[in-house]
Amino acid sequence: MSLKPSQRSMIVGLAFCSPLIVGLAVFTVYPVAASFYFSLCDYPIFDPPQFIGLANYREMFEDPRIYIALYNTFIYAILGIPVGMVCGLGLAMLLNVKVKGMAVYRTVFFLPSVVPMIASCVLWLQVLNPQNGLLNRLLRSVGIPESQIPGWFLDPDWSKIALIIMGLWGCGGGMVMYLAALQDVPVELYESAEIDGAGPLRRFRHITIPMISPILLFTLVMGMIGTLQYFAQAYVMTGGGPLDSTLFYSLYLFNVAFSEYKLGYSSAMAWVMFIVILICTFIVMRVSNKVVYYRQ
Amino acid sequence: MARRMATRWHIIAHIILVGLGILFALPFTWLISTSLKVDSKIFAENTELVPRAPFVVVTDEVLSEHARVAAQTAASPGTVGAGLKPAPTDREQAEALGTGQIREEAAPLPSPGETVRVRPLKQQGDYTLVQVYRGVRVSKEQFWVKEGAIQDKFFLNWHNYSEALKDFDFTLYLKNTLRICVLTVFGTVMSCSLVAYGLACVKWKGRELLFWLMLSTMMLPGQVTMIPVFLTFKKLGWIGSILPLVVPSFLGNAFFIFLLRQFYRTIPTELAEAARIDGCSELGIWWRIMFPLSKPALAVVGLFTFIGTWNDFLGPLIYLIDDRQYTLSIGLAMFQGQYGGFWGQMMAVSTMMVLPIVILFFFTQKTFIQGVKLSGIKG
Repeated sequence: MSLKPSQRSMIVGLAFCSPLIVGLAVFTVYPVAASFYFSLCDYPIFDPPQFIGLANYREMFEDPRIYIALYNTFIYAILGIPVGMVCGLGLAMLLNVKVKGMAVYRTVFFLPSVVPMIASCVLWLQVLNPQNGLLNRLLRSVGIPESQIPGWFLDPDWSKIALIIMGLWGCGGGMVMYLAALQDVPVELYESAEIDGAGPLRRFRHITIPMISPILLFTLVMGMIGTLQYFAQAYVMTGGGPLDSTLFYSLYLFNVAFSEYKLGYSSAMAWVMFIVILICTFIVMRVSNKVVYYRQ
Repeated sequence: MARRMATRWHIIAHIILVGLGILFALPFTWLISTSLKVDSKIFAENTELVPRAPFVVVTDEVLSEHARVAAQTAASPGTVGAGLKPAPTDREQAEALGTGQIREEAAPLPSPGETVRVRPLKQQGDYTLVQVYRGVRVSKEQFWVKEGAIQDKFFLNWHNYSEALKDFDFTLYLKNTLRICVLTVFGTVMSCSLVAYGLACVKWKGRELLFWLMLSTMMLPGQVTMIPVFLTFKKLGWIGSILPLVVPSFLGNAFFIFLLRQFYRTIPTELAEAARIDGCSELGIWWRIMFPLSKPALAVVGLFTFIGTWNDFLGPLIYLIDDRQYTLSIGLAMFQGQYGGFWGQMMAVSTMMVLPIVILFFFTQKTFIQGVKLSGIKG
C-alpha cells in the first residue's frame, strides 16, 4: 500500500461518515438551497418555478392570516412554555423529596408523554367535549354555572387554552430531565446554606435554580422551537378553527404548501420561521450567558 | 425537629403527588373505561369510571307490570309520543332499527327467571321501555319496566372493539406501521453507529468540521427542507410508497449520532488500539468491539426511533396515498374524521394504538428514562 497513514485514515473516516455526508447533501444542503430559491419564486406545484424576487416576502407583510398565525403562535408560546416548565419543574421537585414509591409516580407522570400524539388528540377531543366531556362534567359537578362552562375547542376564546391544557398532560418529559438535573445538585450546597440560615425559598432561588439553569435553558429553547413548529395537534383537532383561533404558523405554512399548492410562498414562510428561531435562540443565549451557570 | 420537618414534607409531597397522579391518570382511565362502556352509559348524565350496563331481572311481577303499562299506552297513544327520546345507538343498531324508530306493537317478551341486559328506549312517567340484548345484538324483545327494576351491573362492552374493527383494519395498519418501524430502527441504529464511530474513533482531517456542520443542522426546522425533499421524492417516483419514510433513516440522524459519539468517546481507546495492533480492520473494530459495547446507547436510539416512527403523523400524511398502506396514526386520524361521534369505538381504537406503546414503556422504562436524561445532557 502506498497510502500515507493520514490518507488512509481520511479514507476510512470518510467511508464511515458517508451515510451522514450523503444524508446532509440530499436532505439538508440541497433542500436548504432549493427552498431559498423557491422562496424567491412563484411556484404553483404543477408549473415550474418563476423567479419573482422578494414578492413572496412582501406578500407576507400584507397577508392578514400571517399576523393571526403569528399572534396565535406567540400566545401559545408565552402561555404554554412557562406553564409547562413550571409544571415539569414542580413535579420534579416533588419527586426529588425522595418520597416512597417514586418510580410509580414517575411512571404515572411520564406515561402521557409517550402516548401517540394522534391518540392523545382523539382522547382530548373527547375529554374536552363541551357537552359530554370529562372535564366539563367535572366542572358542572363542582357547581360551575352552565353559562361559565368553557366550550374549549368550539370557542375561539378557549381553543388555545384547551391545546395548552392538553400539552400540559405531556409535561412528564421535561420532568424527567429536571429530576435528573436536581439529583445532580450536590447535597453539601443545601446543607451549608441551611447552616448559614437560608430558608427553603432562598435555597431554591440561589442554589436550585442556578444549578439546573443549563437544563432550564435547554428546555426553553426546545420549547420555543417546538412551538414555532407546532402543527399536528392543531391539524387534527381543530384544523385551525374556530375562526382561525388555532391557526398556528406551521399549520398555515402546511396548508399553503399542501392545500393551496403555493410552494414559493410557503418556502418564504419557512425561511421567515427559521430566521425567527435563530433570532429568538440568539437572544435567549445572549441573556442566558449572564444567568446560566455552567459547572465546567 | 429537623426530622419531624422532613416527615411533614414527605406527607405533604405524598398528598400533592397522589392528587396530581389521579389528575394525570384520569384521562387514561377514562379512555379505557369509555372504550368498554355501552353507549347509553357514555352519554349518561353521570360519569362513572367503572363500565356498567343496565340489566333487568325478569320476574313474573315485572312482566305483569309490563302488561298493565302496555295496555295503558295502547289505550292512549297520544301520550307515548311525548318526550320520545331514543337513546343513542351504535351504528349497527341504528341501521337495524331505522333511525329512531321504535317498534311497539306485538314485541316478543323475555321469559321469566332470566336476567337480561337492556337498552332504554324511551321513558314515560316512572316507566321505561327497554329493549333486550341477546349477546351483542339487540333482539326484538321490548318491555316496559319500572325505573327501579333496572339495575346497573359491571359489564365490559367488547362490542365497541369488534364494531370498530369492522372499519378500522387494525392488523393491516399494525403490519404497515411495524414494517416501517423495524426498517427505520434498523437503518437508524446501523447508520448512526457507523457515523458516530467515524466521528469519534477514527482520527481524520475534517471530522470536526463535519461534526459541527451536523450539529448546526439540528437548529434547522423541518419546514424549510420539507418542500424540496418532497419534490425530490416525487421526482424519484417514491410518493405513495414507504421509501420516503424509510430511506432517510439509513442516512443517519444528527441527534442520535451526537448521542452515540459522546458515548463512544467514553470507551477507552486502548481496546481499539489493541485490536488494531492485532490486525483487526476498522470495520471489524466497529462491529466486534464498539457496537457490542455501546448496546445501552443503541437501545436508547432504537427505542426512541421506534416510538418516534410509531407516533409519526406528518411523514405518513404527506407520503402515503393508498389507504392500504396507512399506518396506525393516519388510520386513526381517518377514523376520527368519519366516526368521531361514536365515542366507544373511537376510544377502542385509541386504546389499541396506545396499549402497545404503554406495554413497551413498562418493559423498557430504564432505557427510556436514560434516554430522556441523555437528551437533556447537551443543555
